[in-house]
Amino acid sequence: MSRPKPKPKPEKVERDEPSTDPYEAEVRQLEETWKRPPGFIGWLSEVNHVAIGRRYLVTAFVFFALGGLLALLMRIQLSRPENDFLDPDLYNVIFTMHGSTMMFLFAVPIMEGMSIALVPLMIGTRNAAFPRLNAYSYWVYLIGGLLVYVCFLFNMAPDAGWFSYVPLSGPEFSPGKRVDVWAQLITFTEISALAAAVGTITTVFKQRAPGMSLNRMPLFVWSMLVKAFMVVFAMPAIVVASSLLAMDRLIATHFFNPSEGGDSLLWQHLFWFFGHPEVYIIFLPATGMVSTLVTAFSRRRTFGYLALVLALVATGFIGFGLWVHHMFAAGLPQLGQSFFTAASIMIAVPSGVQIFCWLATIWSARKLRLATPMLFVLGFIFIFVLGGLTGVMLASVPIDLQVHDTFFVVAHFHYVLIGGAVFPLLGALYYWIPKLTGRMMSERVGKLSFWVLFAGFNLTFFPMHQLGLRGMPRRVYTYKAEMGWGDLNLLATLGGVLLTVGVLLFVGNFLWSRRRGLPAGDNPWDADGLEWATTSPPPPYNFAWLPTVQGRHPLWEQTPDQPVVVGLRSDRREVLVTRTLDAEPDHREVQPRPTLVPLWLALATAVGFVGVIFTPWAIPAGLILAGAVLVGWFWPQVDQDETLLEEQP
Amino acid sequence: MRSRIDVSDLPSTVYGHPAPLWWGVVGLIVIESMVFALLVGAYYYLRGGESVWPPPGDDPPLTLPAINLIVLLASAIPMHLVVRETDRMDRKPDLRRMRFWLLICTILGFLFLVGRAFTLSQMGFRWDSHVYGSIVWVLFGMHSIHALTSVGENVLFLALLYKGPVEEKHLLDVRLNALYWYFVVASWAVLFAVIYFDSGVLRD
Amino acid sequence: MKGRFPISRLWWRPAMNRRAIERRSPGELESRLGRRHSLARAFMPGQSAPALAVAFGWQSVLDSAGPQAARIEDLWWVYFWVCAAVFVLVFLALVMAVFRGRRGKGDPTDPGAPHPPASERRLTRTVAGATAATAVILIGLLVATVAASRATSSLPGDPLTIELTGQQWWWQVRYEDPTPSRMVTTANEIHIPVGRPVRVKTRSTDVIHSFWVPNLHGKRDLIPGRPSEILIQADRPGVFRGQCAEFCGYQHANMALLVVAEPPETFAAWYEAQLQPARPPSDALQQRGKVVFEALPCPLCHTIAGTQASGKTAPDLTHLASRRMLAAGTLPNTRGHLGGWILDPQTIKPGNKMPAVSLGSDDLRALLAYLESLR
Repeated sequence: MSRPKPKPKPEKVERDEPSTDPYEAEVRQLEETWKRPPGFIGWLSEVNHVAIGRRYLVTAFVFFALGGLLALLMRIQLSRPENDFLDPDLYNVIFTMHGSTMMFLFAVPIMEGMSIALVPLMIGTRNAAFPRLNAYSYWVYLIGGLLVYVCFLFNMAPDAGWFSYVPLSGPEFSPGKRVDVWAQLITFTEISALAAAVGTITTVFKQRAPGMSLNRMPLFVWSMLVKAFMVVFAMPAIVVASSLLAMDRLIATHFFNPSEGGDSLLWQHLFWFFGHPEVYIIFLPATGMVSTLVTAFSRRRTFGYLALVLALVATGFIGFGLWVHHMFAAGLPQLGQSFFTAASIMIAVPSGVQIFCWLATIWSARKLRLATPMLFVLGFIFIFVLGGLTGVMLASVPIDLQVHDTFFVVAHFHYVLIGGAVFPLLGALYYWIPKLTGRMMSERVGKLSFWVLFAGFNLTFFPMHQLGLRGMPRRVYTYKAEMGWGDLNLLATLGGVLLTVGVLLFVGNFLWSRRRGLPAGDNPWDADGLEWATTSPPPPYNFAWLPTVQGRHPLWEQTPDQPVVVGLRSDRREVLVTRTLDAEPDHREVQPRPTLVPLWLALATAVGFVGVIFTPWAIPAGLILAGAVLVGWFWPQVDQDETLLEEQP
Repeated sequence: MRSRIDVSDLPSTVYGHPAPLWWGVVGLIVIESMVFALLVGAYYYLRGGESVWPPPGDDPPLTLPAINLIVLLASAIPMHLVVRETDRMDRKPDLRRMRFWLLICTILGFLFLVGRAFTLSQMGFRWDSHVYGSIVWVLFGMHSIHALTSVGENVLFLALLYKGPVEEKHLLDVRLNALYWYFVVASWAVLFAVIYFDSGVLRD
Repeated sequence: MKGRFPISRLWWRPAMNRRAIERRSPGELESRLGRRHSLARAFMPGQSAPALAVAFGWQSVLDSAGPQAARIEDLWWVYFWVCAAVFVLVFLALVMAVFRGRRGKGDPTDPGAPHPPASERRLTRTVAGATAATAVILIGLLVATVAASRATSSLPGDPLTIELTGQQWWWQVRYEDPTPSRMVTTANEIHIPVGRPVRVKTRSTDVIHSFWVPNLHGKRDLIPGRPSEILIQADRPGVFRGQCAEFCGYQHANMALLVVAEPPETFAAWYEAQLQPARPPSDALQQRGKVVFEALPCPLCHTIAGTQASGKTAPDLTHLASRRMLAAGTLPNTRGHLGGWILDPQTIKPGNKMPAVSLGSDDLRALLAYLESLR
């Protein structure tokens, strides 16, 4: 199977209506209502979810490339003992930037981007809830990323690790502005993630197409929902942590200062209370992608839908009970350690359930198609199982005490995060990019890129297991020749080069497809989700007439007379709000038009949080500015045809 | 020919949890509650590491904050009357009553803020005095920012109610504003208990 | 090596086969390792050093030299084989699933149709069985872990107590004794008697460090304001390298230490030697070196017991020449390296707290002669 055949669509929700004049007229008016204002200002005032999602994806991928480049520099430095390619200061900056970029500027945002771009399409609505909040979250994210990379150019980039342990990151041992920049980067990305999460939760609960009750919701949407809840409960911890750190550094509070009663372990508790759920915030969306891809390419209903949903929810809960396993070496009471060991080991059960359900789906496929996205899924299963097993090892306190903070751990979490999240993500991009751009990517280059990435990945990270067992700690800028770590490190560096080639192949394929790719058609994979029921790329209003849903696989299970929803007004931006559980139509909600207000609010936020690096007074200044913008944001828009209350002045 | 579900009869104004905005505000409240909860957790964590807490002689004065707490709690009553006005079964909401009660609530909010300013100026220690000072000032500061923005929001709604035109859908906004105000009130009740039960009330 | 698997040795072999080294004569070993492995040389300073009597172990998790590391190593191999088996099973299942899926079953043009209930039931049973098996395996591993945790957290016997203080970027070692005059202070090298537990009290005066000698035990963080302690023990003589395992800034990479495990009598002799104040200079050159030392800023940070030098912020130099490495495992303790270190520490270990001093060659020679006499 080399190229997906644009199959003749069996049914098209909005077009198998006779193209009578009223329909044409309605579509014309929808185009008019939902189109973006022209010009650069129009571009800045965009509130459409696909457009914002695309921006998220592109921006996050640029940061992925930058983070990867930094990783390559580290690999060059470590490729031989006592190398002097990077000096220790630059090395520390680079590994800090690599970690921070990959976690805060790539992994979390790109999953948000997938969620913002795809969830409204999958649940059959015209736009995400809170479109201005979505736009705001993007701008804040972009500003945060630009901030830290501009500071990088001015030698103000953080150097205390992506985890910024105090006291090393405190005022005494990290004077200067570097760690302040890090703290504000965190603030920006967390605000952005929280805003996006609230939007996702509301979109999923309130805007599903009629018939899509919770137990018919696509697994991708489930995963994004659970992820959003985890964000809501986990991210405040890092907001608190980074704020306390910033206050310690800027106004001399003593939270983490042991000589005044502060406690450096408080930082670790707060950081990992966020930090471990963070892993699942990245990983759960990837499992949603895998479920979707496995189903689409096996051409059968997902095996074990209920088990997969329960596994997602269980992972979401247990994910909050593991954070202390990052602190085993700190010497905490043994009883507590046993609890966290048990939780850390047991979280493997829901992951196992997911793997088994996917295997069962593949096993009983009607006809398994090994297209590029599916190859990435198979690669994912291979790599992720390895990473999960080393995770089980790390949950064991005695083993963890040996390999904690060594290259073994580096290997483990790259297996989990690259294998567990980036491989599904790349597969998902191969799968959904045709929907977002209207063009197919090349299958031949796609398969080549998969094999190069797969080989490069294992070559880079497998030797690191052994390096860790042989005693090589993390975050060292050099090592002695007689430690005997040189050969394996060289191997890892060569793997890193191969990985880079693989990523370049993917990027090249994408750019090529933008110009030369075959037109995708509405549903190139003959898949089941509602996102394939509209054109590629979708119009700004997504669906002229909203689809309804009959089962868990809407396009596969629709009846010949599957109803459509009509009656939403097309002269203003109306979306259909449905009930939370059963998705019965409830009311019509009017959404705001494109506006610059989100951008202004993001800039006001930036004044506050960038300014605070230099003076605490920036916070009140930012608050006043943000307050002024918020008045504009919330000042109710007046519609003439709404009922006015009596006794108006 | 496909069947159609015509939704043109559905309302475009709703109150309460069917409205997406309700989910947005509740989401915000959950996030903020999480922040407060973590700060309270940090408070007790830091407390556990100290033998004397608060540091000798640095008990925050209790009288003014106690009165202030009562003012804040009292402000929830007029706010509740505003909300009750928005969903009367028997008649249409009376705009004048809503204005009046919201005005009372806002005035109480202002009084609370003034009281808060005096409370802070009476504190015998600063945020950089010791770790107790750090965490107490942060609890106060976080809540003050919330109270400040929420009073500002009340002022905004007062302006809307006075200037108009007021539409039915704005009643949802008024109710959600009230929800947030309740959160500001309730969160201070908890933080007050945390801060003052530790020092003045329970110890003597 | 009983209880371990030769096949794994192929893969996880330490860089040097320790037993092979033990069999070799000292001279052969020296020539074999000497040119390339300066660290190996450092384990055997001088011809007369007693270190030749002991073997050395590399910094490895899988080359245990103490009861705790051995227990963890055994646990590791249990985990390793269980996980390897699980991985192979899942991989086989994946391959078979792909083959079966490729062959396909049913009508692919109607993907939404329900599957035959019988085959779904079979699949459900299989998945449920696999999940149950997973849970059982995990519980087994949990039990093994808890047992190993217990076993490694205490050691029988009367422990020797050491206070280990991490500082950017070196280790201060103090042997505690009820008699204050019998306390020994040294740096970056811990001597311990074989077969006796050692209680290491972990302290830090600046940032978080982590004490980790993999051949003996897992790591323990050194957290400022949070004193803690860990028990270790060596069961065979040897020199074991450890390295700071918590990122601590600029020179985190060059913050190593050596644990020298010796037979009790050798240890006792070493201890008595360390108790002595510094040897007085025995010739004119050394005498001049002492003068040079005291004229330079050195005494502000370094201590040489029995002289006026009593600085506390840098390693104690009273018995500098008895140590194998310089600058926390950065350089072997040889005359050339010591000279280079004194003249230009910032090139060798950029960012460390030792300032460079400018010295004439005569002064340097005298200083080196003096420092090398501090056995």
